[in-house]
Amino acid sequence: MSIKTKPITLTINNKPYGPMDVPEGLMMIDFLHEYVYLTGSRLGCGQGICHACVAIVDNPSGTSEEVRTCITGAHFFNGKKVRTVEGHAKVDEQGEVVELSPIQQSFLDHYSFQCGYCTPGFVNAATIFVEKLKREPIERDNLEEAISHALENHICRCTGYVRYYEAVRDVVLKTPGLVKEGAK
Amino acid sequence: MKKRLALIVLAIVVIIVAILYWREYRTYDGPVQKVTASKEQIERGSYLAKAADCAACHTASGGAPLAGGYPLESPYGTIYGSNLTPSADYGIGRWTKDDFYKAMTDGVTPTGRHLFPAMPYTSYKNMTRQDSDDIYAYLMTRPAVDVATPDNEMAFPFNQRIALIGWNILFHSNDPLPAISEGNSADWHRGRYLADVLGHCGECHTERGLLGEMKLDKAMQGGELGRFMAPDITPKALAQRGWTPQDVSQFLTTGMAPQGSAFSEMHMVVDLSTRHLTPGDQKAMATYLMGEAPPAAVPAPLGKGNEAGRMTYLDQCAGCHAREGEGKPHVAVSMLNNATLRQPDAKNLIVSVLDGLPAQNFPNGESMQSMPGFGERLNDEQVAELVNYLRVTWGGLPGDVTAEQVKALRSEK
Repeated sequence: MSIKTKPITLTINNKPYGPMDVPEGLMMIDFLHEYVYLTGSRLGCGQGICHACVAIVDNPSGTSEEVRTCITGAHFFNGKKVRTVEGHAKVDEQGEVVELSPIQQSFLDHYSFQCGYCTPGFVNAATIFVEKLKREPIERDNLEEAISHALENHICRCTGYVRYYEAVRDVVLKTPGLVKEGAK
Repeated sequence: MKKRLALIVLAIVVIIVAILYWREYRTYDGPVQKVTASKEQIERGSYLAKAADCAACHTASGGAPLAGGYPLESPYGTIYGSNLTPSADYGIGRWTKDDFYKAMTDGVTPTGRHLFPAMPYTSYKNMTRQDSDDIYAYLMTRPAVDVATPDNEMAFPFNQRIALIGWNILFHSNDPLPAISEGNSADWHRGRYLADVLGHCGECHTERGLLGEMKLDKAMQGGELGRFMAPDITPKALAQRGWTPQDVSQFLTTGMAPQGSAFSEMHMVVDLSTRHLTPGDQKAMATYLMGEAPPAAVPAPLGKGNEAGRMTYLDQCAGCHAREGEGKPHVAVSMLNNATLRQPDAKNLIVSVLDGLPAQNFPNGESMQSMPGFGERLNDEQVAELVNYLRVTWGGLPGDVTAEQVKALRSEK
């Protein structure tokens, strides 16, 4: 049985890929690892529960969403703009990291993770959460709940979540304009 | 003279209505009952209370067992299951076993208050006196929980209990519900009693008329149940979707069968009721539901679904349900032989795709993980293409679902 392929063209971390022939039904996580050699996204449960594998899809409307790459076929991403954990830090012309994103730096500063397996998923979730607050700031009083809502699908087995939460809160409170102080 | 007569008649009518109204809402101050019962009777009552699935409506989420408060959504408003513990002021602590039997079989409380037919007395009506007494003995020997039942949230005129006097005249009789299959063995009769009387299957699986009555000429041929539909469970329809009596029995026991796993309200039925039945009773129910000479199960015919739907399936569904639809153990059900997919009316399939399903646990440590809803990711056309792909590929059904149907179900939410 020969494997049926279809062409795919997409943008990942602002870099165009394709058209390239990719098997139908190949999961995006395998495409990232085996076809474009972006191995930062983690295959965890392989069934859409742990969210370690999520990538970001940037919609034309200006919003972004998390998509679980372990249960979503690569062809779903055809024509789309995708960001993975490799796309957040600033790199120089040689591809060396020169500056981490605020979320990445905050995760390090807070010792948010130990084994790090879930971290790419958390980085992506937290990143689009902060971006959303830039578009639509929320009341300060609602921040903790909003962080919880943004991260609650992500499973971490090492640090008990608190340090991830605190790291995100730190970034939000240090970045002007993300929360509004309600009238007291 | 005529005018005077008319006034007198009017006055009498007003007095009668006032008395009836008062009867519906007066409080009951009969003596608090002290019940003693043998261990065997209490055990029998406990078993029967599960077979009758009392907890489904009489135990609130996170509430004390059978202390009421579960909100039952109906087309007429929200009705709260009452407190069945022996609490004197909030439960049935002042009821005698005669009172209890009357409420179970006629839907009338000791004060003459009429229960809404959300209480399935229209099915329990043929309960044996012994079974009713056993359930009573069980309930009355539980700890009293002094919790008031929330007031029902129903609009006028549906909240008028007096109207149920007329409703009962129209729709409540002692005739047994029509048998949905043929048989005469002890198993079949036991199954009929378990399914039609105790299990009150027909209350959900039968279409209802304008006044909320079960349409008995369509008994068990499927009914609306909130967002989902309770499917046709008559023998022919079950066999048409691939069910055998063994599979039905397994489903009632574990909530899982080759035809899929229980979801929505049926998951609760398995969890609270049918899984607790003896193997003999589970088999008896299957015998009644499919008949003593069950029609042969129709194997799922394979077809070739549309290409756009196939791509959506591969990209959105195959990660869990697998490329060839074989499913994954403990994760997602098989599409091949899936009974929901084979329902001629695609409503449950469409709603599952749009809304997703929560993770669920089953007996023996089994579980199925949550299914994400695809309502936001897929538009109406894409959902229709996907559903048609599933129906044609594994359901042996026409791919006739339209985007309009999907849109209607999307906005219904």
